[in-house]
Amino acid sequence: MKTARVGLALGLALALQTTVAPLLAGAGVTVDLVLVVVVLIAITRGAVGGLWAGTVGGLLQDALSGGVIGVGGLAKTLVGYVVGAFAVQFNVSRPWHQGLVVFFASLAHAACFVGLYSLLSDDRMATSEVGVLTQATANAVVGGGIAAALRAAPEALTRRRLRRRSLTRRFGG
Amino acid sequence: MAVVIGHIVLISVQVNAPSGVRVLEAVTFGVFSAVQRGVARAVGGVTGVWDGYVGLVSVQAENATLRQDVAQLQLRLQRERAMAQRARGLEALLGFRRDAVYSTVSARVIAGDATPYFRTVTIDRGTGDGVRRDSAVVSPDGVVGRVLSDPATRAAKVQLLVDRSAAAGVLIERTRVAGVVMGGVDAGLLRMEYVSKLDDVRVGDNVVTSGADGVYPKGIPVGQVQDVGGGPGLYQTIHVRPHVAFGDLEDVLVIVPGPATSTTAAGGE
Repeated sequence: MKTARVGLALGLALALQTTVAPLLAGAGVTVDLVLVVVVLIAITRGAVGGLWAGTVGGLLQDALSGGVIGVGGLAKTLVGYVVGAFAVQFNVSRPWHQGLVVFFASLAHAACFVGLYSLLSDDRMATSEVGVLTQATANAVVGGGIAAALRAAPEALTRRRLRRRSLTRRFGG
Repeated sequence: MAVVIGHIVLISVQVNAPSGVRVLEAVTFGVFSAVQRGVARAVGGVTGVWDGYVGLVSVQAENATLRQDVAQLQLRLQRERAMAQRARGLEALLGFRRDAVYSTVSARVIAGDATPYFRTVTIDRGTGDGVRRDSAVVSPDGVVGRVLSDPATRAAKVQLLVDRSAAAGVLIERTRVAGVVMGGVDAGLLRMEYVSKLDDVRVGDNVVTSGADGVYPKGIPVGQVQDVGGGPGLYQTIHVRPHVAFGDLEDVLVIVPGPATSTTAAGGE
């Protein structure tokens, strides 16, 4: 069940990455939703969960993009594992903590990804420091937002259920 | 289970399908293009409602301006038609052979790239519509890119001209100076390479395809020269601003082999 939920989250991130993210890219904001989801999974499921999420998410992303299969997979696997190991040692439960982790994970991912490509080919990767920082910031904002929403959702549902129950008790069902 | 899946993924990465494409790539692309089509339709529905109802503020003024533009364009079209007719007459008179016309199919962009580092899009046309690897993709504004790998039956991946490993043979329209434009420049620009410092290139010159690369037919607009610099070595440093707005691509035309015809998008809507 947990694995299915992780798969669903990665699939949804990938679908939104290929359909909604290009609309943001048109406005000059690039975001890597798959990386955001991998980092959030690593924070909640630890090093092994992060490693597998990074492997699957990265390989799927590689297969759908025009690059070498395995580069994104390896970069996300490393980032997922390191973030998972970090989250076990430190308290990163608050949304803004998670946003910050996403920010630094994005920088690490960019370093791995661009570094691996520069080792593999002579092609110049179209990335500038400003571009990497912008993407990391956008990822952090999205990651923090998702973390806040995931944190607030169970409380909101419980509050709604309690309100409905009290209304039923007052006016009869 | 996870180990088995890991092995299958690793093996499929190394094994090629009969078409020569990696199995993982072929299966993922084939399956996921259907998902992308569905999500693109849902997103299109939401943006359609937004554009159709909420975004109608100031449409009346825009409408009046557009009517004026249409009238002016109609006049210009009439003039261009007259000129084209005259040119055809002159061609016939001189016995020139006209450039080969090509057949096109229109396609809808259903998805962008899965990573922010590459510039590719997925279109809703594939081998079933005559689309092949390296088919040129254009829009009314100019060159968009080429089909990247062997397409699926109803979907194909298109490498945009601004991608870091994309290139096209081009000419400066005014002076017929040849070169190669390449992507991978920040701010959505193209760089034009292999133009000698002795050649005459000016800011504002139009850049069109030369047809020398065997992918793009000759004479399709690419962009306009934005800046020209000396640079080290024998060649000039030239940046070209493409005519196509790659961030807002919705509908494109794919040039396919066959007699000169055009068909409408698979989406049809």
